[in-house]
Amino acid sequence: MPSCSKENPPYPEAPKLTLVSSTPSIQRASRGQSDWSALMARAQDGDREAYRALLTEVEPYIRSIAIKYLGRSAEVDDAVQDVLMTVHSIRQTYDPTRPFGPWLVAIAHRRIIDQLRRHTRHKTREVELSNEHETFAEAPANLFTEKSAEHALVGAIDKLPPDQRDAIRMLKLKEMSLQEASRASGRSIAALKVATHRAVKNLRKLLKGEPS
Amino acid sequence: MKTSDVIDALVDAAVPVRRLHPPLVRAAIWLALAATVLGLLCVAHGLRPDIAARLQQPVFVVSMLGALATAVLAALASFKLSLPDAPRWWLLLPLPALAVWVSTIGYGCLTDWVSMSPDGMRMGEAARCFATLLLTSVPLSIAMLIMLRHAAPLRPTAVSAAGGLAIAAMTSFALALIHDLDATIMILIWNLGMAALIAALASAFGRTSLKWVAARVMPSLPLQLSG
Repeated sequence: MPSCSKENPPYPEAPKLTLVSSTPSIQRASRGQSDWSALMARAQDGDREAYRALLTEVEPYIRSIAIKYLGRSAEVDDAVQDVLMTVHSIRQTYDPTRPFGPWLVAIAHRRIIDQLRRHTRHKTREVELSNEHETFAEAPANLFTEKSAEHALVGAIDKLPPDQRDAIRMLKLKEMSLQEASRASGRSIAALKVATHRAVKNLRKLLKGEPS
Repeated sequence: MKTSDVIDALVDAAVPVRRLHPPLVRAAIWLALAATVLGLLCVAHGLRPDIAARLQQPVFVVSMLGALATAVLAALASFKLSLPDAPRWWLLLPLPALAVWVSTIGYGCLTDWVSMSPDGMRMGEAARCFATLLLTSVPLSIAMLIMLRHAAPLRPTAVSAAGGLAIAAMTSFALALIHDLDATIMILIWNLGMAALIAALASAFGRTSLKWVAARVMPSLPLQLSG
């Protein structure tokens, strides 16, 4: 067995390799734990600046843990926010004489694993709808109730007095602003407002009278 | 919602908090409450009439000490486990005491089997036993739930199992101190059965009840982030 001391490297001709961490946040985690501990102690006493500095600094670290479990998915953000909120709600359990890193990592692990578990449970219960679940192959054919409600509304608008009908068409259906509608119809803004108000009232009456 | 907005909201809501006492101190507070409850019960009801004779029997003494030790160690374990960075093996702490306690009940069961009198138990005593059971376990459970509320988002099941064991052992200790339950079947039902029931209830509903208590006693999340 060759010895691997500094004086006698096993492969003297090999180029010297330096280990470079790809996640600087983890490096910071080990270096800055005492800082984090001090920041958390100040945050517990109500120092908001220290608290903001702490949360901003630990966020990438929590994110790297979340990515390890969840991959780079949309759930990572949810997980990070959940961990931050849990840290907030149980911050009184941190004892500043103990290291901050293990405390934070334990919370992050439990919350993220909890989220994974919840997510898997949801997935096993949910089935994505495919075309076979539809009654008819044509998409509009399956929207029967929506269509009939739409028809009823169009019919009711047609039955309104002309000024109210125009007001509701311009302001609600074409989504014009009050100024634009006023310019287009030559009526004052106040008159348009009153007409719309009355139109909505009348429509409500008309649609209630007609069972959809 | 963006993460930076969440941080803003949390910082805005950062009021000073009082740090928790060490788990040993918190367990001692809970045990002091248990001692008070037991003391009051003893004053109100009186000790069992044959306590002097029973204390001469080593099995009874070992069983009582086993129950008490289980209660103390399980309480300490649950307070320790409620902290995020405590290792999981704290759950094993009460097991040796639990083994001693359970084995003495089994031993009493075997030796008393022959001398057991079928009419040793009166109905009135059973009802009073049940009252003692509730008077001990209900206040202790409520105190424990409130003291352990911050464990709700972390490991509610382990914490409530240990807490439930502490309550069950303490209740059993109270029952043995106050009521003369000599019929072996009754010992089994009251001691082990009730202990198992409380521990099972604690692990089944511990998660939900911890969350319920936490939501009411610990509303420290800012309004826009809760729910």
